[in-house]
Amino acid sequence: MEVLKRAFDFSDFPKVDLWVAGAVAVFLLAFPALPHSSLAMATMIQFLMFSVYGMGWNTIGGYGGQVDLGEAQYVGIGAYTTAVMMIRWDVPFWVSLPVGMALAICWSFIIGYPLFRLKGHYFAIATIATSLILKDLFESWSFIGGARGLKIPLKGDMPNFLYIQFRQDYYYYFIMLAFFFLGILYLNWFRHSRIGFQLRCIRDNEEVARSLGISAHWAKIKAYATATAFVAAVGSFHACYNFNIEPEDTMSLDLSVLIALMAMLGGAGSLWGPILGAAIMVPMKNYLGAWLGARAGLVGIDLIIYSTIIMLVAAFEPRGVWGLITRLRQRRRV
Amino acid sequence: MPDAIGGHGPPYRFHRSRRATMEDSLTQIAKAVVSGLMMGMVFGLVALGLTIIWGVMDIVNFAHGEFLMIGMYCGFLTATGLHVDPLFGLPVAAVVGFLLGLACYYGLVRFLLRGPMVAQLFGTFGLMLFLRNVALMVMGANPRGLHQGILVGKSFIVGPGIIIELTKLAAGGLSLAAFAATWWLMNRTKMGKALTATALDAQAARYMGVPTEKMNALAWGLGGGTVGVAGALLVNFWPVDPNVGLLFTMIAFTTVALGGFGSIPGAAVAGLIVGLMINVAPIWDALSTCLGIECLRGGQLHEFKYSFVYLAFFLITVFKPRGLFGWKY
Repeated sequence: MEVLKRAFDFSDFPKVDLWVAGAVAVFLLAFPALPHSSLAMATMIQFLMFSVYGMGWNTIGGYGGQVDLGEAQYVGIGAYTTAVMMIRWDVPFWVSLPVGMALAICWSFIIGYPLFRLKGHYFAIATIATSLILKDLFESWSFIGGARGLKIPLKGDMPNFLYIQFRQDYYYYFIMLAFFFLGILYLNWFRHSRIGFQLRCIRDNEEVARSLGISAHWAKIKAYATATAFVAAVGSFHACYNFNIEPEDTMSLDLSVLIALMAMLGGAGSLWGPILGAAIMVPMKNYLGAWLGARAGLVGIDLIIYSTIIMLVAAFEPRGVWGLITRLRQRRRV
Repeated sequence: MPDAIGGHGPPYRFHRSRRATMEDSLTQIAKAVVSGLMMGMVFGLVALGLTIIWGVMDIVNFAHGEFLMIGMYCGFLTATGLHVDPLFGLPVAAVVGFLLGLACYYGLVRFLLRGPMVAQLFGTFGLMLFLRNVALMVMGANPRGLHQGILVGKSFIVGPGIIIELTKLAAGGLSLAAFAATWWLMNRTKMGKALTATALDAQAARYMGVPTEKMNALAWGLGGGTVGVAGALLVNFWPVDPNVGLLFTMIAFTTVALGGFGSIPGAAVAGLIVGLMINVAPIWDALSTCLGIECLRGGQLHEFKYSFVYLAFFLITVFKPRGLFGWKY
């Protein structure tokens, strides 16, 4: 009960934020009823997916201050668990989802224990290294399809809630939306929880945290496990939503960085940051790609614009959009 | 990915005497070791730029592989555009790399240094994406390779079955020369001493009148220049495409971690070790044939040749963060 109360306790945000958040929530719920193109629908689903990825990253990268650039390996673990279980043993999505999350958590413990002896750059690059090793393994492991990946077979009857296979996209949308709201509630609890305070303390000054009796190593490992569970859950969904997964698109470094980048663009270490980041980045990427990428001779111009924005944000506003908003507010108050 | 680094595994030979197999596999081992060492020297040169930047400024440059890619394109374009030998691409690539490093420092890195570490990671990552996609837009996605020149395609035979390609040998030798030059620059000139001072303690160096801002820029210039040379050497035997960078970035990170952050001899030695590491699969195959334990031949080992590098990075940073020769951690 106490946990639930904490999860729904948003009282430390200013009223304006809550109104905006409420309006956005209503919009998200009503979106499938509004007239929209299929690109818009796909963009919205991707936005929700990347928000949840970002929320996961935020627990370790934002609150904990440990920049993890290997989240894609957990996307891969989640996606492959679901796909393999569905193909080989005909296991429903809702069973393989927790299994995938559990496997991701196990793997995060295995590599997290040595990883968190590292700090800063070294940690970031080591996470890339582990992620690339796992990708190489998956690419040559024939049991799970190797580099060609896996294709999930279609079941006959189409609105299939057990295996989440639908003809209309709005079913997927609502499933992802449920994940999204659960993620927000969980993170809201996480903020006020013991581990949340410990992590922020570690981020601000690890020596002080240790001297206060916080086991920094263990706290980081726990937060990392949380992050991976989030990411693996969305990875499982990704497998069912795309029907087709391969190591290159579920486990590449680009995906890891995209996840971390969106969270950072929005503002790492705040509840709304990753959502804001995904809301800016996903539509920009999709629509820029659709408008500019199709034109001949302009291959890659969308990514050039996108990387310019990354550089500008990193150079001039490293705390992201949320940091900008906070600063503007403080200035107004003074 | 072209299989230019490692040799292929030894082919199975049936119906041959045990002795012949053994000689054969010894040759294979020697071949793999030689090719690994020669690649290793180039890896060392690639890592040298990174270790200068990392050692002096403690900033991770994710765009390092992209600097290499630009160096490779410089070598390629000089050779094909002006119809001269690819070796003329070396000075061009060095100058372009130097200017690119300076431009990156003054245009981006200067601002990143004010922010937290996360900003540096993402800033240089953005730079990497930017350079890669500019290259994609300008040069297209097709891999380009050089097929002519004094060095290209020539090889000589050392001992039975060990063939050394001249391009690789020249690349190794010129890398050594570049190493010697950099070592001399860092240890025997006033400028190098100022750079080292900045690396050791930037604030103290500033108090002693070292223009640390300029030294940072110089470190980026030197880093870009050396990696440009490495690129121009590499393009002789490794086709270049816009996505070639990431692999080399990771190899360079591993080399730097193994050699010790900020150590020039470390980068050279670690480069050789990494070169051998990439050839672990052929060496192991030949070794198992030689010892008569063919059941242990690593069938899929070839697919993991880069995984060894990544694993090495992980293990080194976790268990021996100073590397072999490092003074900074």
